Amino acid sequence: MSHAVVIGGGPAGLTAAYELSKLGVGSTVLEADRQVGGLSRTVNYRGYRFDIGGHRFFTKVPLINDLWHEILGEDFMLRSRMSRIHYRGRFFDYPLKATNALAGLGPVEAFIVGLSFTKAKLFPQAEETNLEQWVANRFGHRLYEIFFKTYTEKVWGIPCTEISADWAAQRIKNLSLPEALRNALFSTMKSKNGDIITSLIDQFNYPRLGPGMMWERCEELLKERGNETMRGIKIETVRHRHGRVECIYGRTQEGECVELGGDHFISTMPLRSLIRALTPTAPDEVLEAANTLRYRDYLTVVLIAKREKIFPDNWIYIHSPEVKMGRIQNYKNWSPHMVPDPARTSLGLEYFLWDKDDEWQWSQDRLVELGIKECSQIGLIERDEVEDGTVVRMKKAYPVYDQNYQNSLAIVRRYLETFENLQTVGRNGLHRYNNQDHSMLTAVYAARNVAGESNDVWAVNTEQEYHEEKRSETVATTVPGTNGDRMTPRRLTPDELIEAAFARIDPVALGTSVGVVGGVGLFVATIILLFKGGEVVGPTLSLLNNYLIGFNVSWTGSFIGLAEATGGGFVIGYLFASLRNLGMDAYAWLLQRRAQRDLLEKV
Amino acid sequence: MMANVAKSEKDLAAEEVGRAVAKLQTGVLTLVFALISGLGLFLMTVWLLIRSGKRVGLHLQLLGNYFPGYSVTWAGSVIGFFYAAVVGGFVGWSIGTIYNRIVVFRQRS
Repeated sequence: MSHAVVIGGGPAGLTAAYELSKLGVGSTVLEADRQVGGLSRTVNYRGYRFDIGGHRFFTKVPLINDLWHEILGEDFMLRSRMSRIHYRGRFFDYPLKATNALAGLGPVEAFIVGLSFTKAKLFPQAEETNLEQWVANRFGHRLYEIFFKTYTEKVWGIPCTEISADWAAQRIKNLSLPEALRNALFSTMKSKNGDIITSLIDQFNYPRLGPGMMWERCEELLKERGNETMRGIKIETVRHRHGRVECIYGRTQEGECVELGGDHFISTMPLRSLIRALTPTAPDEVLEAANTLRYRDYLTVVLIAKREKIFPDNWIYIHSPEVKMGRIQNYKNWSPHMVPDPARTSLGLEYFLWDKDDEWQWSQDRLVELGIKECSQIGLIERDEVEDGTVVRMKKAYPVYDQNYQNSLAIVRRYLETFENLQTVGRNGLHRYNNQDHSMLTAVYAARNVAGESNDVWAVNTEQEYHEEKRSETVATTVPGTNGDRMTPRRLTPDELIEAAFARIDPVALGTSVGVVGGVGLFVATIILLFKGGEVVGPTLSLLNNYLIGFNVSWTGSFIGLAEATGGGFVIGYLFASLRNLGMDAYAWLLQRRAQRDLLEKV
Repeated sequence: MMANVAKSEKDLAAEEVGRAVAKLQTGVLTLVFALISGLGLFLMTVWLLIRSGKRVGLHLQLLGNYFPGYSVTWAGSVIGFFYAAVVGGFVGWSIGTIYNRIVVFRQRS
């Protein structure tokens, strides 16, 4: 029986091992921390459990959903979601709702937002390489500044002008004005064909004792099937020869050296660290590329307050630029079992940092003090309500999508693909800002590859199915041949451009629409005058009977006008479309003649 | 004869560029109709005011039947701009929406 070594005991690593066990392949999981779960672990501090970030369990991949239920069974709870944005003393619903946002901004700001949006639509920036350009082109610069700039820059620690547009394309749903209006006017979200959209926004699954419960249970199941998980092992060397990884050397937290061999290797460790650990050393070009990959670190300051309820949200995004924290979690609202005492509340204040930042080096007491100060500054809790606090640091929490990452990643990926028994999966293993479910899917595919399938783990598509508003799908989330790279707006092919440029206007459709609008318009104009009444009703409008036989401003006339104006409008629309199409055909013919002539001249 | 040849070449060119049917950008159409209508009524009103006379804009004044508060005055020109922009925008949106729906329907059938 073949044996696999899995580096990393987070969602991707444990999923890979779990899937391998189902396929009859034994595995050993190596986890650097003393606890499994990675970013999705749950920390227990004096009975108060907290999540490293918030982990909603929602997915559009049925396979992953089944896996979650299979592992956790009855301990999986359905929870309601509430999240808001805090900006300059005001709260805004998140996801944004047009009415709420405009009401919160006030009429003057809303007007400026409208103007800015109009400007963006009429005069979009031609270049769309960074996040600022991408968002401003879709939402207007003003909305970008209010709802995107400050928070994004807090999270990523770099100006939005230095963040690739990929991230925005992957994570931000485009704004559709008709859809926004529909949502603002009607409380139930319906799709165009009338189906109620699956409300992934309002509810989500959550393990009773936090996300770490899922991974601790997964580890137990692996153990029952004879697979070992080794905790506290830091990988130092990945030895390879002739395109195959032979063994891994790690070190325990006590300093002992561990050597582990295997037939297959699945790594979830950050690509930069993996490349650096390879022995013999990777080529200079690959090392250089790996060294340019960056990661955002992050720490949580947990405050325990003696108040039963502080705010109703699961989490709040803090866009206000006057404080450093980026998000606040209220763990009790994720699951009531996260706190041992219902009279108390534990809050997680999230700070996104680089490990070189001063705050990263601050002592626990100093960070807790900062958390208390900022919480009282934005009016959430009073200083004397805080009883206790702690800090959890998480290194390399987010792969950074800067302007260089795509080139570097391509070089690293090409090199790693030369190893026949090494696969990388998960968020850091692919340097892709995937959610838990997509990370797990890459792990499932990698495990199946070990068993003989040939799935492209890089092809797990993060664009098509991410946005939560879309309906639940039963199809797999891979798009064959795209290799997962279709995350930015794709450039049209010449054929598509030609087709779009010469597309025909449907004369019947245009005729009908102009006819209907014209007919109904005249009908409404007539009856408005009839309702207003007077001695002589609508003498001027009646002059239309010079063109519309039998029309006058009367009830009968309004219907005659409706019929005739509809017919007239149809003819106008039809003729306009036909003439336009004829013109385009003639132009296409002319271009073809010119091309033929040029070709003949060349021959 | 020549005309026939030319026609068939034209048809050929049309076939080669595909039979894609354009969809109207409803948002753009709304904006364009709104701006043209709004500015159109504004300029028409202002033009009459500049030309002046004893009884300015007798016929244009009748739009007050549909746009409460509108008159051929400087204030009316601004009020008219907003009314016409709203109505124009609605007309543009209606044409675009109806057209796109019919195109989808015809393509399906």
